[in-house]
Amino acid sequence: MPFSKLDTAAVARTLSQIAERPEDVVDAFFERREEVEVAPEGTAGLRVWREEGFAVRLARDGRTWLASRDAIEAKPFAEALRQAARAIPSATYPEPALEMAPPGAVSAPEMLDFPATLSRAVRAHHVGFPLHVAVRRHRRWVQVVGPRLVPAAESETFYSCSAESTWGRYGALLPRLDAGAAEGIAAAVVALFRARQAHPPAPFRGAAVLGPAAVAVLLHEAVAHALEADTLAQGGNPESAVGVAMAAPCLDVLDDPAAAPEGVRRTTDDEGMPVARRWLLRGGIVEQPLADALWARTSPVLLPGAGRRGTRHLPPGPRSSHLEILPGEAREEDLLAGSDEGLFLPEASRGALDPLSGEFVLHLPYARRFRRGALAGTVGPCVLRGRVADLLTRVVAVGSDARPAGAGWCAKGGQKLPVWATAPALRLEGVEIAP
Amino acid sequence: MSQAPLLDEILRSLLRRHLTDAEIYLKRGRSRRLERTQVTEVSAISQERAWAVRAGNRRGSFFAAATGDAVPEIAWPEPVAGQSLELPEPAPVPAWTAPSDFDTPLIGEREGLKLLESLGRQLAAELPGARVLRAVLEDGSSEAELANSRGLRASTRNRISTFYIEAAGPGSPAATASLYVAAREPRRFHPTALARRLADRLAVSAAGAPPERDTGEILLAPVVAAHLLAGLLPLLVGPGPGARLLGARGRFGSDHVTLIDNGRFPGGPFESPVDGEGVPTREVVLVEEGLFRQPLLAWWQEGAAEGEPSGCTRRAGWRDLPAIGPTHFYLKPEPRISVASLLGAIAQGYYLIDVTGSGRFDLAADRFSLPVCGFAVQAGRASAPVAGAWLCGGIGAFLKGIAGVGRDLTFHPLDGMIGAPTVLATGLELSRG
Repeated sequence: MPFSKLDTAAVARTLSQIAERPEDVVDAFFERREEVEVAPEGTAGLRVWREEGFAVRLARDGRTWLASRDAIEAKPFAEALRQAARAIPSATYPEPALEMAPPGAVSAPEMLDFPATLSRAVRAHHVGFPLHVAVRRHRRWVQVVGPRLVPAAESETFYSCSAESTWGRYGALLPRLDAGAAEGIAAAVVALFRARQAHPPAPFRGAAVLGPAAVAVLLHEAVAHALEADTLAQGGNPESAVGVAMAAPCLDVLDDPAAAPEGVRRTTDDEGMPVARRWLLRGGIVEQPLADALWARTSPVLLPGAGRRGTRHLPPGPRSSHLEILPGEAREEDLLAGSDEGLFLPEASRGALDPLSGEFVLHLPYARRFRRGALAGTVGPCVLRGRVADLLTRVVAVGSDARPAGAGWCAKGGQKLPVWATAPALRLEGVEIAP
Repeated sequence: MSQAPLLDEILRSLLRRHLTDAEIYLKRGRSRRLERTQVTEVSAISQERAWAVRAGNRRGSFFAAATGDAVPEIAWPEPVAGQSLELPEPAPVPAWTAPSDFDTPLIGEREGLKLLESLGRQLAAELPGARVLRAVLEDGSSEAELANSRGLRASTRNRISTFYIEAAGPGSPAATASLYVAAREPRRFHPTALARRLADRLAVSAAGAPPERDTGEILLAPVVAAHLLAGLLPLLVGPGPGARLLGARGRFGSDHVTLIDNGRFPGGPFESPVDGEGVPTREVVLVEEGLFRQPLLAWWQEGAAEGEPSGCTRRAGWRDLPAIGPTHFYLKPEPRISVASLLGAIAQGYYLIDVTGSGRFDLAADRFSLPVCGFAVQAGRASAPVAGAWLCGGIGAFLKGIAGVGRDLTFHPLDGMIGAPTVLATGLELSRG
């Protein structure tokens, strides 16, 4: 851990000097990041980004002051402390010793082999086409220090991969680079290739079965974002959402950062608060919205532990980390059953939610028709639209096989964060899908 | 204080590793960010200090970037085989005087919060019941130094402010609208004008409906025209694709179409004597009175298409590799034509005042569609609000159907700063989507 030589006790003592009132939230957030990328062939070879820095935060009466620096050194820390406290320039604070372990040499042999592994996995599907592959390793170490609380440092390591062909781009976040990861990406890019000439479907209203990857995007947008305390506050009091029947009774949705894939698992959030196995929806009813330390102070029904920050230069906010949709009892053939034609939606490229209107859009790069339990022809790009409140009540069956459902980047308020999911397939009735 | 000796020492250390082409970029910056929602207020101040190095030889290259101070003893990564690195040669930089507002201090916390408060008040005055959901004001300045192994040395300064606002109208469900603007410094943001623009959007969105399908003369507000120009950029940046839209005798658009990119645009947020690789910037006329002159070409694209290269490589930040793109790309305004005269000339048509979402541009199929809102116009007067509509048409048809441009050039932060005046367009269609 790079923070092993950081004098956290001295930092805590210094922070206690600006926490003037018992209700003040004061903390220091230290982070080191390293990203290594093997870029597509034909572009500048290895790319390495390294950064470290800190932010000091003071929150009081609904107002937050934040000062951040791109270095972990004593003098800038004292300066930032003065800025966050809005102290007069002559005020002096002690300069705690802030020594960091030096970064190690860059080594990423597993990444250099991955593009070739991926090419082999694509060829195993009996197709071949040019593919531009970029692989990046993301590592992050975080240490939060409060005036009274110094939790253990946390770290995350994961990979992102983008594979681009003439028929579209596929991006994925991966906890590790192995043959399984290569096969998952290969299957997705081959599916894009095979759907390349498929025409978008005519406007359709009927049954849709969403594969785990599409379910993860749907519920990230429609449940997780909708239940963030700051999003709820745009429409009123966040605590009034608790107890509202938001989805069909068969839907149980949790956020559990401690159950995320190994490498990105967390025991505390980016505010140093212990994470919780949080029931966002139990039986379709809102139980526990996502809250960070500041929102948790506004109501006893909001629990902290979901504070995340994409960068030290911005304050944390309530966000999900690892969504878990509990499996139901429907087998795959049950989900695809019925005499009417429906659409199977294996992947979603992106989704968006308008928090005020509740309008929701899910972009699907391709889909497959199904009828009487069997998959049929492929259709081209289409869009699933609806209002969150209506769409989630249309879930009629939950698949019995919950699996790691991929992950993706989530950008909100200028903060880009990785999000992970474990999900089964879902069947919805009476949904609208259009080209 | 110049860091030239340090830059030279780092270049020498790279050369000792047989990395014959090398470039080092140092950046220092500071910024203030003020954010206000209905229930929270955040004031953040950041200081940035970072460097980036590109180095390589015939066999391979690497890119490394980090926060803190660059030192020659860094353990550089091993170059990975790939395209060899090419760097520009030094070139004389035409005289340029740094604008005085580069020296103005960042906006103060109190002054910035007052601006945000004032916007909320003005919005409520323009449209009773409307409210600002979230407003984010960012103000930053930076200095950068660059040196490469070919002897190029450059220093640049930047100053930019951005303002993002999300607002909701009265009623339930409330219409929503957002706005993102940029200027060199925040004192150029006028709360009344911004509030008026948001209020217009909210009022039109709440009361308007899309036409089933209609054509006619369509007046495009600068922001709508700028979004269309941004969608056309792949045709004009780099060698090759622009020729596809050329008609007879090299015609790209109507006589009213003159498209320019200018890295030295006076007052522009990216105004600079050199680009992100230290190459001198200049005004480049890409299309003149409808005739295609040349695409935007970087120094390494010289000879790949007809035309002179210019300094047009952008470096968004220390983390980013330099990439070709426009800085201040705009449709030349006509100083004698007022917006009122363009509007007054419309017998039956539409005045589209804003863009409500992301557009779709299929350059291969020569089609675009853009979600818009505005007014139906009869005899030069607004007759009904229009919302939820899509402006659709051919890209070539749009350029060739421009029947007039106004004098109100304004820039919008899209892909670089994209500027346009009000545009009178024909041959486009407005539909329900």
